[in-house]
Formats: sequence, C-alpha cells, structure tokens
Amino acid sequence: MDKNRRRIIKSIGAATASSLAAPYLNLAHAQGSPIPLGVALPLTGNAGAYGPDMAEAAKRTAAKINAGGGVLGRKLELFIEDSESSAAVAANLSHKFINVHKAQALVGYWGTPEGMSSRPIAIQNKVVLMVSSAANAITEGDTQGYVWRFQLKATDWGTVISRATLNKLGFKSVGVMGLQNAFVLPIMKVFEEQMKANGRQVVDSLIYNPEQPSYRAEVERIFGKNPEAVYCFGLLPDFVSIMKEVYRGGFESKVVALSIMADAEGKFVQAVGPKVAEGIRHFQPMPDVAAPGYKKFLQLMDAPADRVLLFPPNTHDQIAITALAMEKAKSPMAVDWSKQIIPVGNGPGQEVDDVVEALKLVRAGTAINFQGAGSTCDFTPNGDQLGRGMGQWIIRNGKSVFVEYAKP
Amino acid sequence: MTSYLVLLGILVCFSAILALALNFQWGLGGMVNFGLTGFYALGAYASALFMLKGGANSFFAVVGAMAVVAAVCGLVAFITLRVTEEDYFAIVTLGVGEMLRLVALNEDWLTKGALGLTGVPRPFGDRIAPEYYQYFLLALAVVLLLATLWFLNAVARSPFGRLMRAVREDDVVAATLGKNVLWVRVRIFAIGGGIIGLAGSMHGFYYQYIDPTQFSNIVLAYGFMAVIAGGRGAHGGAIFGAAAVMALLEGSRFLKDLVPALDSDQLAAIRIIIIGVGLIALLIYRPQGFLREYRLKVSP
Repeated sequence: MDKNRRRIIKSIGAATASSLAAPYLNLAHAQGSPIPLGVALPLTGNAGAYGPDMAEAAKRTAAKINAGGGVLGRKLELFIEDSESSAAVAANLSHKFINVHKAQALVGYWGTPEGMSSRPIAIQNKVVLMVSSAANAITEGDTQGYVWRFQLKATDWGTVISRATLNKLGFKSVGVMGLQNAFVLPIMKVFEEQMKANGRQVVDSLIYNPEQPSYRAEVERIFGKNPEAVYCFGLLPDFVSIMKEVYRGGFESKVVALSIMADAEGKFVQAVGPKVAEGIRHFQPMPDVAAPGYKKFLQLMDAPADRVLLFPPNTHDQIAITALAMEKAKSPMAVDWSKQIIPVGNGPGQEVDDVVEALKLVRAGTAINFQGAGSTCDFTPNGDQLGRGMGQWIIRNGKSVFVEYAKP
Repeated sequence: MTSYLVLLGILVCFSAILALALNFQWGLGGMVNFGLTGFYALGAYASALFMLKGGANSFFAVVGAMAVVAAVCGLVAFITLRVTEEDYFAIVTLGVGEMLRLVALNEDWLTKGALGLTGVPRPFGDRIAPEYYQYFLLALAVVLLLATLWFLNAVARSPFGRLMRAVREDDVVAATLGKNVLWVRVRIFAIGGGIIGLAGSMHGFYYQYIDPTQFSNIVLAYGFMAVIAGGRGAHGGAIFGAAAVMALLEGSRFLKDLVPALDSDQLAAIRIIIIGVGLIALLIYRPQGFLREYRLKVSP
C-alpha cells in the first residue's frame, strides 16, 4: 500500500510540475521581440455577453497596428484571457500578465470588481491598467498615473439620466430600484438628488441583492406605490427576473433601465419576449456614432454602418492609446509611457482618428490629439475619461429604437 | 515566471489551509460545512477590519479573525446541534454562510458593501521592499500551512482525534459510552472555524482588496473538490487536493500557449470542461482520493 501511495504522490507531483512548467515549453515569446499586452475580458460569468466582441476588437486593432509597422518597430502581441467576471480571477490574471508575459499594459477589465482588485497590483508593479468599468472609486486616490478609465464614470451616468428625465421625459413621480453593486450606487445617489432638487417626487427607493431567486417583494414595494416611472439600475439577470414579476403583477408604471440590462446584445428581449419588453427606455454610455473614428472602427470590425457597439470601441481605444503613448515616449516601459497618455489623448496637436496615421505622425515628431472610436480620448489628470456620452433607446416591437445621444 | 510561480505558491498555500479546515470539520469530524464561503469571508473581513478600523497589527488581526470565526462556528454548531440532527446542520451552515455574505454586501458602514475594502495592510508590508515581498509572503504561507498541518495531525492522533472519529462513525455509540457528543462537535467546528479564519486572513494579505464577489459559492465547490480529491480525512491529501485544483485552474490557462490555434473564448469554455472531466476521471479511477486517512497501526 505504501509503494502504491508513493507512486500516486509521484504522479501527482509530475502532473502538477508539468502543468506549471507549461509556459516554459513555448519559447516563441520568450525572445522578447513583440510587445506583450495583457487583455482580461469577461468571456464567461455574468458579463460573458460582452467579452467576445471586445476580444475581436482587441485582435483587429492590434493586427491593424502591426500591419501598419507596429510600435517602436516591434509588433504588439496580445494575451487575451477570461476574467470570468470575477475580482479574484482578474487579480490572478494581472499577476500572470505582469510576471509571465512581462506585459506593461493591462487592458479590458470590464467590471468594477475586476478593476478594483487589479488596481493595487498595477500600481505596485508600475504597470498601466486600463478599465472599462464605471465606479468612481477606481480612479480615486493616488493612482500614480497608472490607472485609466475608458468609460463614463458612474456619477456622470446619473447626471445624464436625470437631465433627460427632467427635460424630456417629464415624469412627476418616480420609484428607484438598484442592484447592490459598486457602480450602481453612485448613479442612484446622483439621480435621486437631482429629482428631489428639481421638485420631483421619489416615492420610494431600494437596493436589492444579486442572484435572488425572485424579486417579487421588491417589485411589489416599488411598483405598488404606482409612480409614473420606475428606474432600475442593475445587470441583465436581475432585470429579467424583475420584469417578469412586473408583467405578472400587471403594474403600469413606465420602466427605465440601463442598456446592459434591457438590451445586452438582444439577450433581454430573447429572455422575456417583446411583449414584456415593450416601451422600456434604456440608457448606456456609448460612442458618438457620428464621429469619424467610430465609423472607421465599424469598418475595422466589418460591422454594418448602423450597428452600435458599446464596449468594443473602448478596447480599441485602450490599445490605440497604449501604442501611441509608447511610440511618443520611445519606450515600452509603463513608467515612461504612462506620462504620455494625456499628451497623445488630449493634445494640443493635430486631430487624428486613425491609429496607424496617428502613429506615423508621432514617429515624425508631430504633436497629435487622438480621437478614438469610443470617445475623444480626453482624460483628467487622475485618469477619468472625458468626451464620452450616453445614448437613450426605447424598445418597440422587440427592437431597441435609438432616441438621442447626450454628454454629461 | 518565477514571480508568478511564487504567487501561485501563496495561492496554493492558503487554499490548502482552507481545505485542511474543511477536511478537519467534514473529513474527520463528519460535519458538513456548506457555509465554508461565508466563514471564509468572515475571516477575511474580520482580519482586514481589525487592521483598517481597529488599528491592530497584522498578527493580532489574524488571531482576532481566527477567534471570531471560531466563536461564530462554535455558536452555530451549539445552537443547531442542540435541537437538530446532522442533516439539518448542513442546511443551517448553508444559510449562515449566505447570511454572512449578505452582511458583507449590505452593511456599508462596516464593510463598504459592494465596493469592498481596499488597501488591506500586509504583515511587515512597510518594512520589506515590494520586489521581495512576495517571497516573504510565500515563506509565511508555507510556515503557516506546515504549522496548521502539524497541529491538525497532532489533534487527529490525540485521544480527541479518536473521539472525533468515533462521533463521526456513530454518535449513538459514542454517547452510550458517556461522551458528550454535542460538546465534541462544537469543538470540532470551532477549531475548523479558527483555521478558516486563518485562511481568510491570508486571502486578504494576498489580494489586498476584498469584496463580496470574491466569496461566491465556487469557493465552496473548490474546497470540497480539494478534500474529495485529496482523500477525505487525510490532511496531507487535502494539501495535494488543493494544489491539484489550483494547478488545474491556473495551469489550464497556459493551454493557449501550447496550442496557439485555440481561441480565447474557446479556451474559456474548454478550461471548464477540462476541470469537470478531470474531476469525473478522478472519481472513477480514484474514488477514495489521493491519500487515505491516518489509521493507528497495530503491530502483528
């Protein structure tokens, strides 16, 4: 029995060692010629709907840059990994990108937990972290210039939604339901403050927990007070449950939500059917679809001209700004090029919306002001993004119909 | 790469400490703990809060977290087992675990809710240079793992260990022999709880950021996977089990480097399939786990 045990221990040891030593077996990228970028995206988990398009955008943007001569004469090499929409997994991936692949840029990071858990790792290792997440806390405090948000920050979402409500939608009384989530709470706070300050009635407001089997009690409490409209801020799975309860209860308040809940690449209407979804308004930060940079991005993605891609343009801009800042700093080290993010994004300089053209100008020593696909790529010194707006849609016959675009 | 392996080593160590705690409670004591995730979260939050809000140093924070989790576990076991049987105890632990997670999520004044606690201090974090810190943390994690293993082995081989096994195998026989079964079980659950508190504290030291999403029920699944794979009741096995689970989870990320044709989203799905297949294969070919439980040998 003892011999048998030893044999098993040996085989486990061998299996573990070979699994951990696997990266050594591929020496192609150990030579160091391409510039590695770590890309953490939600390919599975509760945000799994968004990752695949962002991955495609990352690949096509890197391929375009590489075809146009690369960065500092070297090619970009992407390491795309699944963050599983999890803070702990994202932190482990950040360690892998930095320590195994020697990446100096960590891009993607869709959700707030992923961004928050990777923030201290990026700062300690002096590596740039670029997130698509909204919670204000990600860029608060001393980030030492290593954390950059490619998204409208959460309080600005609240500003745009409340302004649209006050000026255009005209609801006199509203109820508010928000998911217990770090990016939702600042939106709710700003929205409720604005409503009250402008004489509108907030009949009731509650925060609900994720992954509940039912939201009947919450729905009855808010919708039962019969406000003109109920504003729901959360994610797709909870909103599907909420709307089923609203339909069952026969409530008549209008519903306003976020597009990551009420659209989610068409998954909401698939889940509840067009009858339940009819008339729901939804808001989401989006690119300016009239901007030439966005139109070029659609061509890059081989997408139809009327397609609204919410997150992939951010991924494009993250990689583009990384490339431009590296080229301007003449260094692939984040400690050098992180200081060039504002000069290439905000200018002053020649406005340019194509990353390959922009790289040529930077190589020629021309000052540029890069206009991205997802925004104008302007930043505050603490890493918050300016120049991104929000879209508003309404669901009619199972389709989201575009209403308007507004900036905070 | 060395740095990454060091970090993985730390991850394996605190996962193994958690697996040891579960193995002690369930493997040796026969007390199913479906609230493992909640108690683990309690340990992480208690340790972080002792440092961030109470101003304690990391040593006292860890000791405090171990005491808090041990007390809560002991209390849960005492209240539940006085009036119910073992099967209901498992359900109660599930409920308590979920309750603890919801407290972490909703009590903003204490835990900062969904935003989580940032800047969790680390032992000697201000005295050791950042580039060497991970080596120190690995050494600390290894020492703590070995100390836990030694302690649990000592308990398992002591008269109390034999009593634990007796209660696990047949509590009626143990009670008939005059043993206080309730008190034995409360102690088993509390000791295991203390070790869960240690693992939770290490989690906070490693990530330096804790939020409720890190304590989803997948932690429970990995904990049971580690104990089942290692061999229920065998402490050494729980360590191998935790190492194997982590190697499978993290090692499978490197598949893409070995097979470049594999797409990222394909790999995301394939990884989960590989982990599932690995477990099924283990249960078919080695249902008793890697190692077997320590048994007292009698010379022929």
